Amino acid sequence: MFSRRTRILLAVLVVASLTFVILDLRGGQGPFATGRTVVSNVLGGLERGAATVFSPITGAGSWWSSMRDQADQIDTLGAENEALRTELNILRNDKARAAALDGLLRVASVGQYRFVPAEVIAIGPAQDFSWTVTIDAGRNDGIEQDMSVINGAGLVGRILKTTADTSTVVLIVDQGSAVGGRVAGTEEIGIAAGTGSQDSLEFELLDPLADVRVGDAIVTFGSKSGRPYAPGLPVGEVVEVEGTSGQLTRVARVRPFADMSQLSILGVVTKPPREDPRDSVLPRSDNLSIVPSPAPLGGDDAAPTDEGSASPATTQVPEEETAAVPVESGNP
Amino acid sequence: MIWRQVLIIGTATLLAVLIEVTLLTRLGIPGATPDLVVVTVVAIALAMGPIQGAAAGFAAGALIDLAPPGDTLLGVNAVVYIAIGFITGLAVDPRDRTIPIMMGMTGLATGAAVLLTAGLDTMLGSERVDWEQIPVLALTSALYGVLLAPGVILLIAWMVRKATPEVLVS
Repeated sequence: MFSRRTRILLAVLVVASLTFVILDLRGGQGPFATGRTVVSNVLGGLERGAATVFSPITGAGSWWSSMRDQADQIDTLGAENEALRTELNILRNDKARAAALDGLLRVASVGQYRFVPAEVIAIGPAQDFSWTVTIDAGRNDGIEQDMSVINGAGLVGRILKTTADTSTVVLIVDQGSAVGGRVAGTEEIGIAAGTGSQDSLEFELLDPLADVRVGDAIVTFGSKSGRPYAPGLPVGEVVEVEGTSGQLTRVARVRPFADMSQLSILGVVTKPPREDPRDSVLPRSDNLSIVPSPAPLGGDDAAPTDEGSASPATTQVPEEETAAVPVESGNP
Repeated sequence: MIWRQVLIIGTATLLAVLIEVTLLTRLGIPGATPDLVVVTVVAIALAMGPIQGAAAGFAAGALIDLAPPGDTLLGVNAVVYIAIGFITGLAVDPRDRTIPIMMGMTGLATGAAVLLTAGLDTMLGSERVDWEQIPVLALTSALYGVLLAPGVILLIAWMVRKATPEVLVS
């Protein structure tokens, strides 16, 4: 079939290859290994030259593959970054919630209030001029109308309406809101009425001769059976006193302790303490002239709980619906 | 003029080996490395005939095993490439050498080279061969062989026509 020469050449080539295989399998030193090393060295040198010639192309190749890797890396890192940022936001949110709950617990435990924690889920639009928020707790959670609502800093408002699972809270800064208050550390009482601005209340003192100074703290006076306002809740700090002593009425401008623009976790006081906690719940602050004392004076303290119904002033204070009441009582 | 044939075969295989180990292996192409050496052997066999194909296979196989970083058993590739060169030279009838047929032939050869080398290595006791990867490697190698075929075949045919027109199979 094939010419003699073809057959011989083919046989020689195959035998040579197989000889290589056998010699390589045998391993060890010898002329074969030496020859192999020499040829490899020559080829290695040629390869170095070829590599230099091809370096622009291989460089482009590695550039391309590293670009591909980098694109993958960017994708991976981007996704990771996104996940971490989300986690960080969640953590930050959790931290804020924990801080809010801590504050709430402090107020509640010092004052021995029983409260239901709730979260603000909706806020009334500003153009309605009503300072109301919706919280995610309702009748099913034991919340009823006219319960006090607090946060970690102090009084926030009262329950206006309830549904099965949500409630509407009217904030103390709402223009329709009026809170019976007492200047901490004294017996001076008055009405803290909302002005519609988020950081100010008007505190009208019933006694025109009362001595009120900037920096005094206002706490709730308390209403009958703790509604709408439980006694002893911190309301705010006097920042300005208008009118001189002896005027018909004296009005103090009060900045609420609770920041009405940043409400998150609120507590609804379902059960006021058996005894008025007096001033013990007030925030610890150097600015306040009143240093909160956990154990208020015994003599003063015995009465206040029942005072709500006994004293003529207090029967009026709970009906804080209009500013007319304090003015009338201030007149005589 | 036997020395011209030797020169062509030597130059073509050496260049193919150098390009393959310095350029093609480093491009990071997925799957097998494009087997320019086998394609060259096939091209020589198609242009010059089976015996020259076998000689080219021997040269290419020896070179690819000797060239760093080759670390396989010396001679295995040579045996495989001899078979490939000889058989392709015989198999394709000079009368129906169309580009698609030659491309298909090259694809078969590059795919078969992967399988035969792996088989021989395994039989000779190499434990490196990962048979799970062999199908992918054989298929991608065949694909790259088909893609490389037209250019290499035309180039080798041109070289042969210039240097030793008397052996050109056409």
